[in-house]
Amino acid sequence: MENIFAFIDDNKILIRLKKQFYEKLAIFSAAHKFTDNFIVKIDEIDKQTVGIYLSLKDSRNKELLKSAPEEFCNEVLDQQIRLDIEKKYGPIRDIIVNQAFSPISITDLKNEIKKKL
Amino acid sequence: MIDSETATQEKSSKDPYLLLPFRFMRFPKSKILLVNEVGEFIFLNTTDFEKLISYKLNNGSELYYDLKAKSFISDSDSELPYRIDLLATKYRTKKAYLRNFTSLHMVVITLRCNHRCNYCHASSQDADAQKFDMNIETSRKVVEAIFMSPSPYIKIEFQGGEPLLNFNTVKSIVHYAEKVNRQKQKYLSFVLCTNLTLIDESILRFLKEHDVLISTSLDGTKDIHDANRILRKGGSSYDTFLEKLQITRRVLGKDKVSALMTVTKTNINQLRRVIDEYLNQDFRGVFLRSLNPYGYAKKVTGEQLNYPINDFIDAYIDAFEYIIHLNLEGRHFEEYFANILFTRILTPFSTGFMDLQSPAGAGILGTIYNFNGDVFPTDEARMLAAMGDNHFCLGNVFNNSYQEMFNGTTLRNIIKQSCVEIIPECHCCPYQPYCGADPVRAYSVQKDKHYVGHIPTSEFCKKHKAIISYFMKLLEQNNEDVMNVIWAWITKRDINELKLS
Repeated sequence: MENIFAFIDDNKILIRLKKQFYEKLAIFSAAHKFTDNFIVKIDEIDKQTVGIYLSLKDSRNKELLKSAPEEFCNEVLDQQIRLDIEKKYGPIRDIIVNQAFSPISITDLKNEIKKKL
Repeated sequence: MIDSETATQEKSSKDPYLLLPFRFMRFPKSKILLVNEVGEFIFLNTTDFEKLISYKLNNGSELYYDLKAKSFISDSDSELPYRIDLLATKYRTKKAYLRNFTSLHMVVITLRCNHRCNYCHASSQDADAQKFDMNIETSRKVVEAIFMSPSPYIKIEFQGGEPLLNFNTVKSIVHYAEKVNRQKQKYLSFVLCTNLTLIDESILRFLKEHDVLISTSLDGTKDIHDANRILRKGGSSYDTFLEKLQITRRVLGKDKVSALMTVTKTNINQLRRVIDEYLNQDFRGVFLRSLNPYGYAKKVTGEQLNYPINDFIDAYIDAFEYIIHLNLEGRHFEEYFANILFTRILTPFSTGFMDLQSPAGAGILGTIYNFNGDVFPTDEARMLAAMGDNHFCLGNVFNNSYQEMFNGTTLRNIIKQSCVEIIPECHCCPYQPYCGADPVRAYSVQKDKHYVGHIPTSEFCKKHKAIISYFMKLLEQNNEDVMNVIWAWITKRDINELKLS
């Protein structure tokens, strides 16, 4: 875990993630969740690595900084899983909503599924 | 902990089953909660979750059949259309409140009030300030606008101030609405929101004749109630309230009167006493409502009334557990907000609670007509106007057509931005089918001109997420006694009918 993050100073931490494993959307979604207690900056470290800087909004909340790296890693993993699962069933959700709000028959539904999946 | 490699590995052969849409979140004790598009839920341990998303579930296992029964997976391509049709039907049922458009019409009869409650978000006026009354001419235009709604159900709710200070207009609206309805043939009902202190026998005879229900306010025991509900002429609001409550129940019947309370700093640590008071006064339930940041409540200093949202959450949970305990001792008493949420979680049915809907119920489920004919999508929007910000005004019954007000850009913009399906954070939250958005609050409290707000710092989100999480924890524990209480509330049956013999 120590290679993944580093304390920049008392109120700031840098988390490094490999682009190979985490899409931009997953990283942004995870980062957004931390904007309650942190100022978040996302930057490229090198061609393979993205860096997420978390700066405490309130320097009195140092205990948040200690747990932030592990929580962030879990959160970005969950966001990536959501994206991966969404790729598999996302079109099915569209079909459910369309089916719910339009008078198409079961026969047409089969064609709709064929088209989207 | 699930590793990313397992989660993202490509399938080299045809998947043994299909995943249907769901969202998930981690729960304590290594549990993962999954909730699908229509609110069906299941708890998995991390190992089973990993197997599920890696297509390694044993297709003969009990868990496999549970997931299939709840539409988290589909066996095969050929079964998929039927699974989708079932989910679509449930989805349509969940969103049924959209079908009919505005059914709740709140009419501000007057801003005058004989009270000056510290937390009043109506920003009431002196009892003799008659320029703040709705006149008969305005009331007729309001009724005509109300009946333009396509909804077959029309509930007219008289609000104020104190509506009894302008009772002639209340009577006029009831008569005119009933007259119009002879042609329109809708299911018409009336509710009078009143502090009860001005009620008398003649008013009650009228209310009985026209089947008008009463919604009143009781904040707790005498010391709690009188602390923030101040009679302008002095004296105890509580004493007068109790006297009038008895008369009202004698004439109308006990089940025609319900009460609401507002949680303030005065009573937040005494909610068990408040609940006891409701029981002593023979009410069947309570809605534990947190303070709204509008009107007088915003002007009065934080030290006097307001509290951190975490304090409300803790107090709510404590009060809820006390209510469950009372039910298990044989006293039927509901917490109405919990009933709404459990109905959403445990049944496929839509619940018409406009403060927590997606898209927001503002305007499309309920709307409010001010004393001067101005129309707003929510009472909070009306309060913003009273404080000088007319941003959410949909129009005026004299100057604007129904289409201009209810199909215009103001309301459409509010609704467009109030779908949790597209709000950052909400979009991936598993509580999406149970929750909703508050665009007026996002604009007013979080100063977001796009009505979305910032969910990580939203107290609205924090409160609902904490309460729903607590309820999900209860459901995961699945204690039979607690579940009997919850189902007794949902089904409106006696708990003894539900107990297994």
